[in-house]
Amino acid sequence: MKRFLIPAVALLLGAAAASAQAAPGTVLRDDKLYSQPSATASVTGSAAKGASVNILAKQGGWLRVSAGKSTGWIRLLSVRAGAGGLGGAGLGDVVGAATTKSDPSRVVAVAGLRGLNDEDLKQAKFNADELARLDAWVVTATQARSFASQSGLAAVNVPALPKPAANAKSKPAQPSSWESNE
Amino acid sequence: MRAKLIAVTILLVAFSSVASGFDLGKLLEKQVNQELNKNKKTPATDQAPATAQSAAAPQPAANQKIDVKQLGFALFGDYSPEEENRIGKQIAGNLLGAVPLVRDDKLQAYVNQVGNWVALQSGRKETTWHFGVLDTEDINAFAAPGGYVFVTKGLYRRLNNEAELAGVLGHEIAHVTQKHHLKVLKHSSLIGVLGQAASNKAKSSDQVVQNLIGNGAEIMARGLDKDAEFEADRIGMVYAARAGYTPWGLPDVLQDLAGLPAKDGRTSLLYKTHPLPADRLAALGEAVDGRLDAVQGKDVADRFYRIR
Repeated sequence: MKRFLIPAVALLLGAAAASAQAAPGTVLRDDKLYSQPSATASVTGSAAKGASVNILAKQGGWLRVSAGKSTGWIRLLSVRAGAGGLGGAGLGDVVGAATTKSDPSRVVAVAGLRGLNDEDLKQAKFNADELARLDAWVVTATQARSFASQSGLAAVNVPALPKPAANAKSKPAQPSSWESNE
Repeated sequence: MRAKLIAVTILLVAFSSVASGFDLGKLLEKQVNQELNKNKKTPATDQAPATAQSAAAPQPAANQKIDVKQLGFALFGDYSPEEENRIGKQIAGNLLGAVPLVRDDKLQAYVNQVGNWVALQSGRKETTWHFGVLDTEDINAFAAPGGYVFVTKGLYRRLNNEAELAGVLGHEIAHVTQKHHLKVLKHSSLIGVLGQAASNKAKSSDQVVQNLIGNGAEIMARGLDKDAEFEADRIGMVYAARAGYTPWGLPDVLQDLAGLPAKDGRTSLLYKTHPLPADRLAALGEAVDGRLDAVQGKDVADRFYRIR
């Protein structure tokens, strides 16, 4: 049971191309569709909250989707993967999961796999030996910087994001999903 | 909430008694019992708490039977990095008692390198960060105060590149920097700590810490409130972006989880303690909007460490 189709599509086809492969998605907030993965591109249509779309490709913070007659790029965070609309658990259903692309190298059987539960955690007894293992892997700031630069990573100035409540002021017409999607 | 108000009221009484030099332990015990019994009949008024915080703030005399300073900091004070670490260490050790670390030094070293690089962007000082991959197919990640961060093997397996790992670790690092768990502990343990103090068992500070934490890794099963999770998403995404990664790593992971079947046993604890992925994506969408459009970042897929 593997990785969802979107990244697989992105990997296989790269940014631009759409293909016969498509994954279902649900629109989380009213948003525009653009001709290119950029808010400065021309608007080709719009998608309403709750609408079903087909996800055709992914590039950075954008998904190429088809919604009814329109096709275009929509912000990644305006859509969630999986069919089934906004109702219910909001998770992929069994059918949706069946459409995920399998990656044989990472197959994990879902059936019968049990996760952690409350009791496991409540009953847990302090394990000093495991805790001590962590110390062996401690990394200094200098080592972390060196590790980063090996892959060409450099610190970037990115301002903090505001709380959505403040942001919602700019769109008084609709309640934000922040509040309504309890 | 009501319980907290009462506890604060009790504390107010308690601290004033310290100042006048009574036997705090006895008095606390009496007060706690009184207040607890009283509460069964009459609800607390809303008046006390506003003044209680400020009234309790001055440090009481240190030479009392019970370590009042400990008690005070446990309830109101700001924890020092050492104190945070002590609490986190206890929680982390308990969690590791439930699920051990993956026996793969390369994996663990890799995660610690990525984690420390992301954590450097938080600006938090005086912290020794400890990262670990837990040997379970459960899909989850955990943080404990003082810089302990864990991701399960089940979640790690689903990641496709370093940016996604950075996003997940960024979320957990944000829980540490925002002290989310400490806030929960303070909230939930007011009565407990007081009770412990009243029965005069809290002679050692370790017991205060233990009492604060509860049994095992209970706090991990209890989880945080939704706002804390949404905040950690926002901050974690920014930490990853500041580290030079694409900001979309965390959203990509959430998209992946959104596509999993609802009844997957590996995510039951995750969804017990976290909002659903769709809600997290929607909340992030409101916060991010076009703000990260100009941010270019790397996926770093090539050196991403794959579990065999």
